[in-house]
Amino acid sequence: MQKNDRKDHNEIILELENVCYTYEDGTEALKGVNLKVVRGEKLAIMGANGSGKSTLFLTLNGIHKPNKGMVLYNHIPVDYSRKGLLALRKKIGIVFQDPDNQLFSASVTQEISFGVLNLGLSFEEARERVEKIIEELNITSFRDKPTHFLSGGQKKRVSIADILVMNPEMILFDEPAAALDPKHARMIDEIIDQLSEKGITVILSTHDVNRAFLWADRIVLMDEGSIVSEGTPDEIFTDEAALAQTNLEKPTVLKIFESLCKSGVLDRTLPVPHTANELEQYIREGTV
Amino acid sequence: MIIIDKLAYSSRLRYKNPTLKAIFAVGTLLICVGARSSIVSVVTLAAMAGLTVLSSKISILRYLRLMLIPLGFMVLGTIAIVVNVAEAPMDLLSVPMGGKYLAVSHTSLNEGMRLVAVALASVSCLYFLTLTTSMLDILSVLQKLRCPKIMIELMMLIYRYIFVILDMANAITISQNCRLGNQDFMTELRSAGQMLAVLLVRSMKKSSALFDSMESRCYDGEIKVLNESYPVEIRDTIGVASFLLMMLAIAMFL
Repeated sequence: MQKNDRKDHNEIILELENVCYTYEDGTEALKGVNLKVVRGEKLAIMGANGSGKSTLFLTLNGIHKPNKGMVLYNHIPVDYSRKGLLALRKKIGIVFQDPDNQLFSASVTQEISFGVLNLGLSFEEARERVEKIIEELNITSFRDKPTHFLSGGQKKRVSIADILVMNPEMILFDEPAAALDPKHARMIDEIIDQLSEKGITVILSTHDVNRAFLWADRIVLMDEGSIVSEGTPDEIFTDEAALAQTNLEKPTVLKIFESLCKSGVLDRTLPVPHTANELEQYIREGTV
Repeated sequence: MIIIDKLAYSSRLRYKNPTLKAIFAVGTLLICVGARSSIVSVVTLAAMAGLTVLSSKISILRYLRLMLIPLGFMVLGTIAIVVNVAEAPMDLLSVPMGGKYLAVSHTSLNEGMRLVAVALASVSCLYFLTLTTSMLDILSVLQKLRCPKIMIELMMLIYRYIFVILDMANAITISQNCRLGNQDFMTELRSAGQMLAVLLVRSMKKSSALFDSMESRCYDGEIKVLNESYPVEIRDTIGVASFLLMMLAIAMFL
């Protein structure tokens, strides 16, 4: 269960050095962000609405150019020329929060083929990749429907296919489970897990503490454009001060675990449980 | 409009090759307009209406209602042709009006009826196309006809965003009505104004968000996409060709 082992020797894929970004209207969205992302890791970014998560995402793939500071991809500072940006965006894909801001075409096939054709692939190769991804994400049953007749969950799957088809090294998900029913949220979680297994670096912004606690290798807490705290889920969710500052609750499993430790039912030295099942196991073993 | 869109997607002829459907509809339309004959028009109308109603999940009543929309314009337009201002009274109907006559002759009435028939038949051709072919397929045909790329791209985006913006407008109106935004005419007017203002702002924001998301997918000034392709079936081609030939024959020999 030691999540960090396999990452220790791995290289930094993305690095932010003192990145500041101010919108044209004067809103300071990022105030000196320093962040290192390790290749293949599962990084969750948490923070209130307006804490700068979405701006951070758009800075990572060069849509926003920092007013100050630097973004390095594979140790090389991002080249903000047209060509440099295209090269960067081939490597980093973003799945946006609202599919209606991402799906520009009424046809599922057209939609998914857009990114892959922008990579310069031939129509045949593109079609092959599009068909493969449609099958992988179970889009087949609604591929012939126009996007305006799709449900929220279906639109989300198409918007993920949009990005996956481009085979990026890193995918950023902006609140992927927002406004989805539990079934579709779980489906999206499974898709994200598969990406990590393939070695794709995944950065996820989320408000779901339970999910972040279970899923992430590392969590970054943001507040008002700055990083308040970063660390493993266990470190972050025991950092009372940082949690209070970002208005985050502890994950339910952790809350119960700590309270059971306090009242002496469970042993404080046990490894922190991340799922209800693990906790249940402890209780069962502890009380028998 | 939304109903027509829905019907097009559920039509049994949806997956037929759009180019063939376009040739069928536009070909018949051209013959019909070229011939300007009542018989050709009636045959066209019967064929197109029959095919559309049978292949789509549309009731005859609804089809007739769709036909009524252009009929209103046609009747208004035809009145000007049927009714003449003449010096002398005419054979069918004459109303004296200050020294002149508002008059209808047999010929002008026949001419008018024929015109309405041709117009209705032409509309039925276009309804066939729109009720069996999705907007996207029509765009793919336009693309084959070398319609300028910028127009196709615009139509594609506009078509998609009609629905997104319509959803927004509906949601805003509902939330206004929940707060009595429609209690009398004046509030309704004010609500509509506010709704449009908000809609404009939100649409601008959406378009900028869309641009960001397209840029994120390496958009480089040209929208390149794959179209769904539907194979041409020989049986259909023969059917379309023989229908067009038959129409041509009727137009020339009857």
